[in-house]
Amino acid sequence: MTNVEKLKDLVVEVFLIDPSEFHLDLRREQVETWDSLGVVSLAVGVEETFGCHFTQEEALGLKSVGDVITVLEHHGISFREV
Amino acid sequence: MVGGGRMMDEAKYFRARKRGGMRLVVVPSLWGSGAERSPIVVLNRDGAKHIEIDPAFLPDEVIYWPELLLSVSPERAGQACGDVWSHALEAFLSPLSGEEMQSELASLINELLQLPLITDVRWFDASARACVLQVKTSVGLVHGIAHILEAQMTTQYPSDGWGHAKLCSVFLLPVMDFNRKNSCKWVERAAKYAIDESGVWAVLKALHESGAYRQALPVLRECWSRILRDPCTRTNGTLVRPQAIRFFEEWSSR
Repeated sequence: MTNVEKLKDLVVEVFLIDPSEFHLDLRREQVETWDSLGVVSLAVGVEETFGCHFTQEEALGLKSVGDVITVLEHHGISFREV
Repeated sequence: MVGGGRMMDEAKYFRARKRGGMRLVVVPSLWGSGAERSPIVVLNRDGAKHIEIDPAFLPDEVIYWPELLLSVSPERAGQACGDVWSHALEAFLSPLSGEEMQSELASLINELLQLPLITDVRWFDASARACVLQVKTSVGLVHGIAHILEAQMTTQYPSDGWGHAKLCSVFLLPVMDFNRKNSCKWVERAAKYAIDESGVWAVLKALHESGAYRQALPVLRECWSRILRDPCTRTNGTLVRPQAIRFFEEWSSR
């Protein structure tokens, strides 16, 4: 499974959206469940899925799937398949 | 007012929202909720839990009256202990608990291990501390399940004593098992803060009722999508994915 596929599964399961709604340009305001609690769940899921811990600033700064990828890449997780 | 968590929360809400200026003195009839020390109210409205946080909800005075405990059955006493344990453990694993909170909660957990699961006035203090700490962090899936299932279980099985404390007691062991198997957080934190893990597990097994768990399982399955959306579930220490229902369907306390 590629990291994009892992991230897709994670976003779908954290925000309880249909897989067809996922795309790499998906933004926070397009997802009803991407609220402050959603940010907490996403951070927990990222830690379990990718083994890296988001700082509070990083987690709060996430506004889109693209932002998640950017922060993960800073932690050394490659999304070159993108 | 004299009463348990639900009554205290109603009185706190009534005083703060309808009778500002009135003094509120509460006498908890049982430990567990810690409502007497909490700025949170959990209200039953139209079959759903409505949660509000406001410092104005805090009572002016709390009076503990140990003689009230004489009428508490051993079963209810045990379930109230489960309520306290679920606050402490879920707050300890919360993604919102920093090192200072974790350290305080670990101290509390080690103290809880010294308390018997029977009527004991020391539970009042433990309950209040667990409540104060969970307010500063969060609770998790046990509370998500309890909040969603309570109305349906009490309606469907009115004579079986289902309520918040029983739901917490019954589901704490399987949820902690779920957390332990899906994340290293519990094992790492228990080791870091020198928590007697086997002692905790022995308590959780003593609190669990396997027959009650089997009775609640169909309702859990039916309500799972709502449980996933509950705010408490969303701050569980381990991510609760939709397919996690399979874990609970296949789970056994053996």
